[in-house]
Amino acid sequence: MKRGLLVLLLAGLAAIVWSAAGGSVQTARSAGGTSVTISNEQGATWTCGYNPFNASLVDWSFGPVYEPLVFVDELKSGAATPWLASKYKWSNHNKTITFTIRPHVKWSDGKPLTAADVLYTFQLIKKYKALDLQAVWSALKSVTRSGNKVTMQFKTAAVPYFYYVAGQTPIVPQHIWSKINNPVNFKDSPHQNPVGSGPFTIASCSPQVMKYTKNPHYWQKGLPKIDTVYYPAYTSNDPANQDLASGAAQWGSQFIPSIKAFYLSKSKDNHYWFPPVSNVSVFINLKNPILKNVAIRRAMAYAIDRSRVSQIGEYGYEPPANQTGIVTPTFKSWLNPSLAKQYSYNPTKAKQILTSAGFKLKNGVFQTKTGKPLSFTMINIGGYSDWVASAQIVEQELKAVGIKVTPSNLSSTTFDADAYAGKFDLMYSGNEAGGPAPYYELRQELYSKNSAPIGKTASSNWERYYNQKVDSLIEAYAATTSSSKQHQIVNQIEAAMTRDVPIIPITEGVDWYQYNTGHLAGWVTKKNPFAKPAAYEVPDWGVMLLHLKPKG
Amino acid sequence: MRFVLRRLGFFVITLWAAITLNFLIPRLMPGNPAEAMMGQYRGRINPQALHALEIAFGVNNHESLLRSYFTYFGNVFRGRFGVSLTFFPDQVTHEVLQALPWTLALVGVTTVLAFALGTLIGLLAAWRRGGTLDSLMPPIFVITSSFPYFWLAMLAIWLFAIKLHWLPASNGYSITDNVGWTSTFAYDAFKHAILPALTILITSIGAWILTMRNNTITVLTEDYVRMARAKGLKPWRIMWTYAGRNAILPNLTGFAMSLGFVVAGAILVEFVFNYPGVGWMFLHSVESEDYALMQGLFLLITVTVLTAILAADVATVILDPRTRDTR
Repeated sequence: MKRGLLVLLLAGLAAIVWSAAGGSVQTARSAGGTSVTISNEQGATWTCGYNPFNASLVDWSFGPVYEPLVFVDELKSGAATPWLASKYKWSNHNKTITFTIRPHVKWSDGKPLTAADVLYTFQLIKKYKALDLQAVWSALKSVTRSGNKVTMQFKTAAVPYFYYVAGQTPIVPQHIWSKINNPVNFKDSPHQNPVGSGPFTIASCSPQVMKYTKNPHYWQKGLPKIDTVYYPAYTSNDPANQDLASGAAQWGSQFIPSIKAFYLSKSKDNHYWFPPVSNVSVFINLKNPILKNVAIRRAMAYAIDRSRVSQIGEYGYEPPANQTGIVTPTFKSWLNPSLAKQYSYNPTKAKQILTSAGFKLKNGVFQTKTGKPLSFTMINIGGYSDWVASAQIVEQELKAVGIKVTPSNLSSTTFDADAYAGKFDLMYSGNEAGGPAPYYELRQELYSKNSAPIGKTASSNWERYYNQKVDSLIEAYAATTSSSKQHQIVNQIEAAMTRDVPIIPITEGVDWYQYNTGHLAGWVTKKNPFAKPAAYEVPDWGVMLLHLKPKG
Repeated sequence: MRFVLRRLGFFVITLWAAITLNFLIPRLMPGNPAEAMMGQYRGRINPQALHALEIAFGVNNHESLLRSYFTYFGNVFRGRFGVSLTFFPDQVTHEVLQALPWTLALVGVTTVLAFALGTLIGLLAAWRRGGTLDSLMPPIFVITSSFPYFWLAMLAIWLFAIKLHWLPASNGYSITDNVGWTSTFAYDAFKHAILPALTILITSIGAWILTMRNNTITVLTEDYVRMARAKGLKPWRIMWTYAGRNAILPNLTGFAMSLGFVVAGAILVEFVFNYPGVGWMFLHSVESEDYALMQGLFLLITVTVLTAILAADVATVILDPRTRDTR
């Protein structure tokens, strides 16, 4: 009797499982021709907020929902496409820029977008400093409007700030945002119905998935050609990579180990491209009494085999970097080839430099004249397994030339705190934001005004590089629109990088990008890099969505 | 009655201690939320904006510890747990309430199922000690219980979702669905819950089987069971009403506690299956030092466990007269 009961119970359970599974199970969603699914693991579920001035929410709305004045393409060295502004002009020795706002643009609620909205946006972020993510008001003096033109006055010549004011500031509607009491805490959730000028609106959002749908009022006629965008939330990498491999997601921004075996082999429509965007480097604390000696830094630069680090630590996905700090091939027109070749792997030369500088080898480790060993700790983010692996290789290679390095893998919060405060000897990091020309990354790394004394928070230039000549070069660049002058200046900055070795670029950080051409066409490719292809690049992902169309 | 009142008093005191500890411990941890915020926005936020956010957020305000304690206490009783850092600018309560139903449904149901099935199998195995059921079930399930959970889960995904395409590989529901109380959504959510539920069941049932089996064996040696047999009662009635009811008592407190811990979510499950529950939210809040969310979740767990233990105590009093005569 009891046995029969148990058998019945188990049979019942099996029946339930069978019937549930028996129906057509859609694990691999077909692209359906007019929708695209994105796979970009964030390690979190969605908050369902779209405030583009909130650093944790801007990624989900700036691009498809909110748009900039001009679209700047980093992969084409900053080529600018007029967007909400139909034209722009510098004047007053590059201290003033005037934007003409495009006519006949409508917000998604049907109201017209005018220069008043642009003016309001800039006044809003001036009033609430917490919204000024790009710190544009540290350079701006005033923003005024006259008819359909908006004029921005900078405190000094500020040509590179074009990227931030025109390309990285989302324009929001005055008629909505002027009614909000506290824009800093404003979530801009789907219930509040975010109103933007972009090609998509938010159809729905749950912690598991965001759904965007076509904006019928969009100002570029005939676009977008796809109807829906699905953006699921992934709390860990494996389900995200699995969805890409199975075709359930078509646009990936994932780090996929062994990409050939795990992704490319699953379908002939699976492709990837990893365009390099900014460097991952060893930052050297220039305030450290031993590391102050440039000979040690130069020796380190010779001792590291960058291609080996790239191959083993990064699966070959990130190309080896060069000491000038110029990312190639993205910015190869800026590169000084002879400077770039200077620090190729040469451990013998590294040892020579150290010996001629007066260091003595003892028990396999070099020592200073006062007997202090060249032994340092290198901090790293423990969660980034590829950086940890790369740093290990660097440590091995430095050990081989007699410089002892001990790794210290930290949580990202502790790592950031130590980096900003300068509490490290060496640091393995690639956290610069970069920009549409090498200038932006170099400025972040070398401009002394970005730095701060040890113990205080430095927003970048964590190695504490203070060089007046380089500072004036950086400021001179900002004053010119002449391409040849800019190239000359960058050339001199490259020379400073190779002479002073404040940081040692090891590999070139890339945009993670996978795409499936089964049902969709119009993807960014190496031949056609019309935008940065990772889904986490703003506002570039909006531009990518505009190019996507059903195949055939 | 006095017993229940004493238990209730105990509950209140423990609750107060839990709330106080809940307030103190995050503040005793190394690191601080201001740095956590900076790291959160990695290069995308400049120091002035960060500073402005800190002020708006109430982080780094130099309020005395005692004052913040009383504010905290007041807020807890008003149900205000503050704004979450990781889900800024969402309220903690809103975020937790969104994730909680999924955890309750998945982990709650499977815990109850595991307990029910486990005790049933344990009882049967002990009743027919040495029989086929006893020789098969306990060993098999004890072995499966010792498998690392995530390994079993990944194996299940590989076999049932990737190779056989019988069940979905991840998520709480299909992303193309609309969330709502419709039958299609309910069916879809159910389909997505099968694999996680089965894997949890297989790994947790072993403990219940073993404990129940051992308890029953002890109970079966008692005189009253022998008396019942001598009286000529039907065997399954003895097993059920005499042996079963007495054997289950020690397990009740264990069950109550595991019910309480249901709200802690099952972190590994949610990770491997990308399930939108409370478990990974917990891990995430600790990693990003999101004090408000951490405290909200800690409190949720402590209150639930305490309530569950109280309920178990009361249930034991009702079910087992031997516990009633205390001075």
